[in-house]
Amino acid sequence: MFHRKKSLWLFLLPGLLGLMVFYVVPFLGGIYFSMTDGTISNRFVLFDNYKQVWGNAGFRLGLQNSLVLSLICAPVIFICAFILAVMLRALKEKSIGFRNVLLMPYLVPSAALLIVWMILFDYGGVINRAIVALGGQRVLWLDSGALRVPVVLLYIWKNIGFSVVIFSAALSSVPDALYEFAMLEGAGPFQRETKITLPLILPTAFLVFVLAWVNAFKIFKEVYFIGGAYPHDAVYTLQHYMNNMFAQLNYHHVTTAAYSFAVIVFVLFAALYASKGVRGLDR
Amino acid sequence: MTDRTLRHRKKRRPIRPGRILSFVLLSLVCALVLLPILLTFLYSFFPMSEMKAFLGTRNNYAQDQWMDILLSPAMVSLRQHYSVLIEKPVYLQLFFNSVRYTLAILAGQALVIPMMAYALSRFRFRGRDTLFFIILMLMLLPFQVTMAPSVLTMRSLGLMGTRWAVILPLVFSPFYIFLVRQYMVTIPPDLFEAAMMDGAGTWRSFVHMVLPISKPILGAAAALSFADSWNLVEQPLIYLGENQALMPLSVMFNQMTSSEPGIAFAGAALYILPALLLYTYFQEDILLGIQLSDMK
Repeated sequence: MFHRKKSLWLFLLPGLLGLMVFYVVPFLGGIYFSMTDGTISNRFVLFDNYKQVWGNAGFRLGLQNSLVLSLICAPVIFICAFILAVMLRALKEKSIGFRNVLLMPYLVPSAALLIVWMILFDYGGVINRAIVALGGQRVLWLDSGALRVPVVLLYIWKNIGFSVVIFSAALSSVPDALYEFAMLEGAGPFQRETKITLPLILPTAFLVFVLAWVNAFKIFKEVYFIGGAYPHDAVYTLQHYMNNMFAQLNYHHVTTAAYSFAVIVFVLFAALYASKGVRGLDR
Repeated sequence: MTDRTLRHRKKRRPIRPGRILSFVLLSLVCALVLLPILLTFLYSFFPMSEMKAFLGTRNNYAQDQWMDILLSPAMVSLRQHYSVLIEKPVYLQLFFNSVRYTLAILAGQALVIPMMAYALSRFRFRGRDTLFFIILMLMLLPFQVTMAPSVLTMRSLGLMGTRWAVILPLVFSPFYIFLVRQYMVTIPPDLFEAAMMDGAGTWRSFVHMVLPISKPILGAAAALSFADSWNLVEQPLIYLGENQALMPLSVMFNQMTSSEPGIAFAGAALYILPALLLYTYFQEDILLGIQLSDMK
């Protein structure tokens, strides 16, 4: 550890400057900005912008959809990633190829996949064929509220590998002897995973959930590719609202919407963190 | 009694039905995961006319109409690839826009991020923990929240509508500062003491010791950052506004393929290819990088 070295500034300054200019200062300045009206006199109006934004149906719809979509994606990713990681562990060294395949989509640009998605989910596409073959009705995937399904699947397809890798790393740190012992005591596979594995990797599990959730807030690309700037109401996200406000050069409402969202996210984090802390005390 | 059972088990190495089940299920899941990528590459070798006709049968709402399931081409053809690479300059133009953004962002990050991570991990100074906490917060905040204020900066700097508006904020991306810092913290302090004994200052320790040791994480950060930059959508849409000439391929791809359906799949395949090559090359590093993003 270096103390009181002048050279610190050489290393720190470029990054610090950039963080300040592009993130921290505008973040703080934006709070004031969101409380002024956009006129030439630039009056201070306190919460007027917030009232207007919250009164806007587009904002509420976008906020609601972003939360709903992320709350569908996060648990699905969490559970599937855990199961996949457990199966990978069962295969030991043979699992490497599978793991590499699962992570691959993370690097693949989703725009390039869109065209295949459109074919699979077309009204006359393979997915509907399968549904009809199983005795169901065709679904209008791309032109109705059902658009949520292909959007969520595209998102999960791309992002699940990331969570699987984090889970796998955590699972490998659980000693095998614990499982042997549990087996002797007569615990079934389901019990072993929920009673031994999950509690032991709880901090990692918490992190996986939070990351999956925060990242799912930004679901937008997937919708934008399929539905454009004004998609079906069921998938109109917060980012759509903000983009459309930008297009109208309404910067005040964009920043106001951003901070409203920030407050909600902070409250959710705090609640999640507190609930985890409480559970930690129980044990 | 238990002792004997244990020894017995060890010798026999129990065959777990779980292993077979895992193998089968994982094979299925992986096949599903690979399917869209394989289809894209497969369809890119179909003749243009066949693909155009195939894509033309989409959005047919007649109850008795189905799209064909195409698996083998009438004839294998490189015509799509030829068309994308040589006949239609639009695609290449957009492709190189994407390349330009990616290279600029990676170059900027290479200059800024290792130095910042070094300062955060190896120097003790006032406010260091606060700074690290701010970086963590910025990293966890949803994109919509950090994006809106930085537009204010772009406007006052007069950068809206230029390439720099997309590039600059990403150069200082908090996630990569965090990631590289997590790795550098684990370098044993003895090494630094030894380097100081040999007369190396902070700069020489950085260049000759820290950078070479950090190679895996730098590779991981570069690969992950490549994946982000190659897939930019939100930032260009906002910062570039209507300036279509500067848009990267990721934003325009959809539009391009609907106007030129015959070459959609070759375009997609060539767009995926650099990402796949990079993935195979940086495989191990990427895994390490993702595991390090686990905050302990």
